Amino acid sequence: MRLTGIRRFHFARDAEEALSLLAAYDGGAALLAGGVDLLRSPRGDIEGVIDITRIGLSYVRESRGGLAIGATTTLTEILASAAAPAYAGGLLASALSQVAAPPLRNMATLGGALVSAHPWADIPTVLVALGAEVRWQGEKVGKAPVEELYGTAFRGLFRRAVALEVVLPPWEGAFAHEKISRTRYDIALLNACCGLGLDGEEIRWARVAVGARPNRGERLPWAEEALIGRKPGGELWNEVQRLVESRVEVGDDRRAGAAWRRRTAGVLVRRALARAAQRGET
Amino acid sequence: MKLSFELNGIEHYLDVEPGEPLLSLLRRLGMKSVKEGCGTGDCGACTVLLDGRAVRSCLMVAPQVQGKRVMTLDGLGTVNDPHPLQEAFLECGAVQCGFCTPGMILVAYELLTRTSDPTPDDVRNAIAGNLCRCTGYVKIVDAVLRAAEWKREGRWR
Ligand SMILES: Cc1cc2nc3c(=O)[nH]c(=O)nc-3n(C[C@H](O)[C@H](O)[C@H](O)COP(=O)(O)OP(=O)(O)OC[C@H]3O[C@@H](n4cnc5c(N)ncnc54)[C@H](O)[C@@H]3O)c2cc1C
Ligand code: FES
Ligand code: FES
Repeated sequence: MRLTGIRRFHFARDAEEALSLLAAYDGGAALLAGGVDLLRSPRGDIEGVIDITRIGLSYVRESRGGLAIGATTTLTEILASAAAPAYAGGLLASALSQVAAPPLRNMATLGGALVSAHPWADIPTVLVALGAEVRWQGEKVGKAPVEELYGTAFRGLFRRAVALEVVLPPWEGAFAHEKISRTRYDIALLNACCGLGLDGEEIRWARVAVGARPNRGERLPWAEEALIGRKPGGELWNEVQRLVESRVEVGDDRRAGAAWRRRTAGVLVRRALARAAQRGET
Repeated sequence: MKLSFELNGIEHYLDVEPGEPLLSLLRRLGMKSVKEGCGTGDCGACTVLLDGRAVRSCLMVAPQVQGKRVMTLDGLGTVNDPHPLQEAFLECGAVQCGFCTPGMILVAYELLTRTSDPTPDDVRNAIAGNLCRCTGYVKIVDAVLRAAEWKREGRWR
């Protein structure tokens, strides 16, 4: 644990109380969900910790064909829920079970993952690919697509607002997530999440997102356009693989080089497309 | 601040510092099976069960367990009266220096409370976040599979 300056601990009773406590500390407090990130952080400015895990935000509900997931729902609770396994062709079951290891999934919450939004993480890539929306309560109640939020200074927002719920829209079709890491426990060197909806022999809609580039997961609209209206199959996946290799924006970090990421991004997208198409058929 | 929680079946009421890591509190209460390896959630040596689920006690502060049940390895079995899972670790040679062992046994215990018939891959997934520098993991996987076999045979309590 690196967060060593804690002087006071509060269990918020509801989002309003969490917000008024945040305001009272004037920047010297933080919301605590799973704590997996917060308590690892070396921030020296946090005196007050406000636990929001007991304010009724742990649930997974079916909502208009999609899912509504409370912000403090742990990854394990999502995996164990009745509604999640069937959603988007089983995407959540396969993607979340590749996140960290069981003890961390027992602690980490979806809201915490959304707010931390590590560039190497799988969850932001999945949320962006799915077109997830987040609802929050701050000075006012707000909502926005996660993809749009990530284009803004969202961390500042969540120092003054409580993320309440993540809404995953309905998709007629299937998604698949691919992660490549050095061991099954390690964080991603690169990840990709793709979804496809078929209309007979044609692809009706497509979603392609790549993350850990090393930047955070983003959609590749030009790859999606290249898929729509086309006949699914190995030839098309290979074509999109080459397209991704030629256009994806990647970089170097201490974990992997840009040249490797460029080649591998194409491979991961091809695999995710093939798997999504296969899941969509069953 | 005041804290009440159940530790290995016994209710505790005590005063804690709001920022005290759960790991330190547990060791202060004599639970020396809870080890600090990395202190940042990466190694699994500090694993305990919270309401039956494995968690990292180095990434929790003591007040988070208010009203909850904590189990450490000390609550599973003792030297004189080991749990079958502990016996399986010994029988299979899955313990060398022993530093990772409490955490390994507790994640395995969580797995085996949910299934009595895990595949070797289920076991590898369950222990994936617990690092061992000695055994090479093979004997740990063997031990968990052996314990599962004993559970199916009704030899667990
Ligand atoms: C060892 C390790 C391995 C990991 N591996 C992976 C991986 O493979 N793939 C992956 O995708 N991720 C991975 N992660 C990241 C993990 O998913 C996140 O760290 C976790 O989900 C954070 O959630 P939390 O509930 O613990 O957040 P916390 O630590 O409680 O909070 C994180 C931040 O978000 C804020 N916050 C939390 N909840 C809210 C809310 N409802 N509203 C507003 N602000 C809020 C907190 O104030 C804090 O600033 C890993 C993390 C670790 C430590
Ligand atoms: S000491 Fe907690 S995970 Fe390493
Ligand atoms: S037995 Fe030594 S670390 Fe596992």
